[in-house]
Amino acid sequence: MQNVVMTSGLCKAYGSRTAVQGLDLCVPYGSVYGFIGPNGAGKTTTMKLLLGLIHPTSGSIRLLDEELTPQSRLKILSRTGSLIESPSYYAHLTAAENLQLVAGLKGAEAKDVVRVLDIVRLTPDARRKVGQFSLGMRQRLGIAMALLGWPTLLILDEPTNGLDPAGIQEMRALLAEMPRRCGATVLISSHLLSELEQIVDHVGILNKGRLLYQGPLAGLQQHSRGDVALRLLHPALAAPVLKSAGLAGLAREERGEVVLPPLKEAFLADLVGSLAAAGAGVVGVSCRSRSLEEIFLSLTKADGETGVV
Amino acid sequence: MFLKALWRSIRAEDSKLRGARVWAVFFLIPLLSAAYGTFSFCYNSATVTRDWNGLWGQHTLYYALFFFAPMAAIYAAWLWRLEHLGHNWTLVLSMPVPPLCLVLAKLAATFKLALFTQMWMWLLFFGCGKLWAGLPGVPPAACLLWALRGAVAAVPVLALQLLLSMLWRGFAPPVLLALLGGVVGFLFVSNGWGLYWPYGLLVLGMNANQGYDLLAGQAPPFAAACAGFTFLFCAAAGAWLKRRDIA
Repeated sequence: MQNVVMTSGLCKAYGSRTAVQGLDLCVPYGSVYGFIGPNGAGKTTTMKLLLGLIHPTSGSIRLLDEELTPQSRLKILSRTGSLIESPSYYAHLTAAENLQLVAGLKGAEAKDVVRVLDIVRLTPDARRKVGQFSLGMRQRLGIAMALLGWPTLLILDEPTNGLDPAGIQEMRALLAEMPRRCGATVLISSHLLSELEQIVDHVGILNKGRLLYQGPLAGLQQHSRGDVALRLLHPALAAPVLKSAGLAGLAREERGEVVLPPLKEAFLADLVGSLAAAGAGVVGVSCRSRSLEEIFLSLTKADGETGVV
Repeated sequence: MFLKALWRSIRAEDSKLRGARVWAVFFLIPLLSAAYGTFSFCYNSATVTRDWNGLWGQHTLYYALFFFAPMAAIYAAWLWRLEHLGHNWTLVLSMPVPPLCLVLAKLAATFKLALFTQMWMWLLFFGCGKLWAGLPGVPPAACLLWALRGAVAAVPVLALQLLLSMLWRGFAPPVLLALLGGVVGFLFVSNGWGLYWPYGLLVLGMNANQGYDLLAGQAPPFAAACAGFTFLFCAAAGAWLKRRDIA
């Protein structure tokens, strides 16, 4: 599958602080790609780099089959819709006027304003000044601006930020139907994996400016094994075996089961054999699946930072 | 391609002026200036000639010295303030138009305001002359020409103020600098260096506080100075926008 976004060794440093380092991002065409990481991980910086709003310290960016250069940037932007940080708007103008202004700049047709207002369900409020809008309505207006001109690529930075649970639910439903309604590849960032796991098919997990995982969402689950639970007839006989396997300090007892950290399959097979030989009576072995949120936490923790999730 | 993008940008900037509070400034400041000028004309009969030229001198003295440059600065600061608020910088710079178009479009929008301001100022001059000062007849055609020259001289001032307001997030500092610039402009003109100071061009163009044409025979250098300063400030703004990182 071809990629709509490809970066190679992308770095951005501000003085001695590195915001993004060695990023090799691959966003497949037609996907909804979740770009996830704790606050300060470098998500917004990366998105600004993709839009040419900030200049990379090193590395290259390829968008929509073209290298991002000062010469190609405007052409790429004409096929890209974006919402970076909080939505931008002119408070003294109405929603329709704001959209007409952006449509004019994008070279989009005036009738496109009607279409995007309908998509974000703002048609009844089109003649209201945006200064009177709630945060949720402004976010929807921001999405509408991004959708003007039928973009091939949508870059949305934390579009659910600051919304109440009902607003998040509504925004999620809106974003989920975006590829079907608009046919665009969507790159969407969030610091909450749980918020995106229902709508994305690919994820990239970012921490401290580095990509920790990238690939299909299903692969993330396989990528990280869960704890192993052993059901034993004589748990007391298991202790010497676990000690010799180097697991003594890592094993814990939960509801009559011995729970071990994630193990490689070959190692687990050997361990079960040893426990059986020692007479511990292995009657059940199960691998506990972890939620995506737990996987995300373990990945970012392993990278040295818990992050705010 | 560039011209198309420029036209799109001009239309966008123009639509930002719709229903904006900045129109109140456009209306009130020339009114205030005209009141000062006419009052001064009426109560300085010993030093000011009792004709349209005398009234023009008094009107433009206050207008060019204290009012016009800060007013141009308010137009520029207001238009950039729209982008400084929230994350509008990311919006405007992620549009498929060259950054220079954004600068030139803002210049066009502020020039439109300045042009209307000059027309309003001239109407006030005429109204005050007839209704308040009781002058006979109509103003000489030269006064209309000087008002239009003032609009031309406003272009480099607007370009400079747009540059300052783009770099300066605060609203007040560029306006204060404009006030200072206007006063210094008078000093430049009185020493014969008016063409070398953008705010001095305003005094020269409007023939402020003078009974004779300050620019007699100097129209080409005046036009060249206006064009040169405008090019310089717009190019600087465009180059800075192209290179800056949007934090």
